[in-house]
Amino acid sequence: MIQFENVSKIYQHNDSELRAVDQVDLTVHKGEIFGVIGFSGAGKSTLIRLVNLLEKPSEGRVLINGEDLAKLTKPDLRKVRKRIGMIFQHFNLLESKTVHHNVAFPLSLSGTPKKDMNQRVKEILEFVGLSDKAKQYPEELSGGQKQRVGIARALATSPDILLCDEATSALDPETTKSILRLLRKVRDEYGITILMITHEMNVVREVCDRIAVMESGQVIEKGSIFDLFSKPQHPTTKNFVRTVMENDIPASILNGIDERDSSRNIYRFTFVDESAGQPVLSQIAKKFDVEVNVLFGQITELQGVPFGHLVVELQGEDPEILRVINHIQQKVAVQEVTSHAG
Amino acid sequence: MQVNLMEFWPRIWEATYQTLLMVGISLFAATLIGLPLGIILVVTRHGGLLENKPFFNGFSTVVNFFRSIPFIILLVAILPFTRLIVGSSIGTAAAVVPLVIFSAPYIARLVESSLLEVKPGVIEAAESMGATPWQIVRRVYIPEALSSIILNLTIATIGLVGASAMAGFVGGGGLGDLAISYGYQRFETDIMIATVLLLVFIVQITQTVGNFASKKIRRQ
Ligand SMILES: Nc1ncnc2c1ncn2[C@@H]1O[C@H](COP(=O)(O)OP(=O)(O)OP(=O)(O)O)[C@@H](O)[C@H]1O
Ligand SMILES: [Mg+2]
Repeated sequence: MIQFENVSKIYQHNDSELRAVDQVDLTVHKGEIFGVIGFSGAGKSTLIRLVNLLEKPSEGRVLINGEDLAKLTKPDLRKVRKRIGMIFQHFNLLESKTVHHNVAFPLSLSGTPKKDMNQRVKEILEFVGLSDKAKQYPEELSGGQKQRVGIARALATSPDILLCDEATSALDPETTKSILRLLRKVRDEYGITILMITHEMNVVREVCDRIAVMESGQVIEKGSIFDLFSKPQHPTTKNFVRTVMENDIPASILNGIDERDSSRNIYRFTFVDESAGQPVLSQIAKKFDVEVNVLFGQITELQGVPFGHLVVELQGEDPEILRVINHIQQKVAVQEVTSHAG
Repeated sequence: MQVNLMEFWPRIWEATYQTLLMVGISLFAATLIGLPLGIILVVTRHGGLLENKPFFNGFSTVVNFFRSIPFIILLVAILPFTRLIVGSSIGTAAAVVPLVIFSAPYIARLVESSLLEVKPGVIEAAESMGATPWQIVRRVYIPEALSSIILNLTIATIGLVGASAMAGFVGGGGLGDLAISYGYQRFETDIMIATVLLLVFIVQITQTVGNFASKKIRRQ
């Protein structure tokens, strides 16, 4: 478990001070995959480096399983660090060593006997699917393979926590997916708590249980993936959601609405969770005396659960349409769309 | 211009031997001193593993001080010190002392620049794994930078070959001395050409061996 208690990190820049992390309160539960998303310079890297004390908090405390690392002696801190794995955007592997020796490195630091070490390295390379690459050097590997080595190295000492600093940002979308699948497998099979930071919404959507959105060092919004996707509050969060889910109605459709008379009844139905599986539209068409015209829509998947919205025009008598809305509001969120409201 | 062949070759061989001896011993001793100095420069600098600003500034200034003295002046200036160390202020052994003092700070700087080529992220990764500063130096910095250190030591060696040519001043002998005292002062052009060619050859070989070793060591 990782707890940030009112944590700030302040950098002195000549005369001015920069709050890279600003009064952050967060709790990452055991066995959870927690994502921190933010644009460049938001303070994400600084935040994650506070966890293993690569940066010292200027204010507040960071507790790892209830323990404040800032209070530890250096040898004790090093011991705790062995329980916190970390992977990086640019992998940071030892170029002069083979894959095997890279993975063995953290074990050899604590003087693990050679036999146990080789056994563990074999085991973990198998887990990440790189058994056949043990004798190769990092520069002979693809980016995805290098990150697998990074993950294997981070897991070698069987940590409780894995920190991922933009672990997939240097990878193509396919490779990103396979690394994310691997991270999920890490959590599912070893029960490791994962804190990952990224600027890519599709990354958090893919694997995170909960996320926090950061801006100018502050956490501006946090919650489950679902909450943030279905009801983003802050404009920055909305921007992030928009990167994977087009929320706005395309201009061509809006213009079409504008040109004709404004008495048309256009609504946005937001489907969340099980409601997406219901035949809402066909029920309307059957039960009520209205025509249903779908203008625009998008359904996506959040952690295996469908989520999305449809923009629909209802044609018919006004009272009848009102009855439709009353009926359907019990199943999905309904919002009237006017030409300027988007 | 006449050449006494009977004297020519033995003299050249002797001088070659002296040059190689001077360079070899100086290189060894200077590396022994320069390597740790370079490491100290890297770990104490701003953002280093054992950051210590006042120490780094002072230390760096001392290194610069020694590096700014021209070799020929250093050679003379430290004569008493040389005498103290090797018991004599002339001869091949006496030449080694100033050569070491001249090249150790140089090697320190070269080692420093090699170590700084190691990506900070790799050092940080090691720190995040709970490595001690000493483990990071021995098991990350040095192996990761070794190939570059060897290339830089090659440069230092070639510098030493050049500096050792001035060792004639303290009776150190060697090819440079031969070229000056016979070739230049006595107008024995053949000797001069032969020694210069030999020096060129030594430099070439050094560079070739250095390049090869550097490439080889990149992956043990
Ligand atoms: N060692 C440092 N000294 C001074 N300022 C720093 C330092 N490290 C980070 N900063 C500043 O803190 C702010 C946050 O940096 P940080 O690296 O945490 O951002 P980030 O969210 O990780 O961005 P990116 O997505 O680009 O990696 C930036 O304005 C940066 O310039
Ligand atoms: Mg960053």
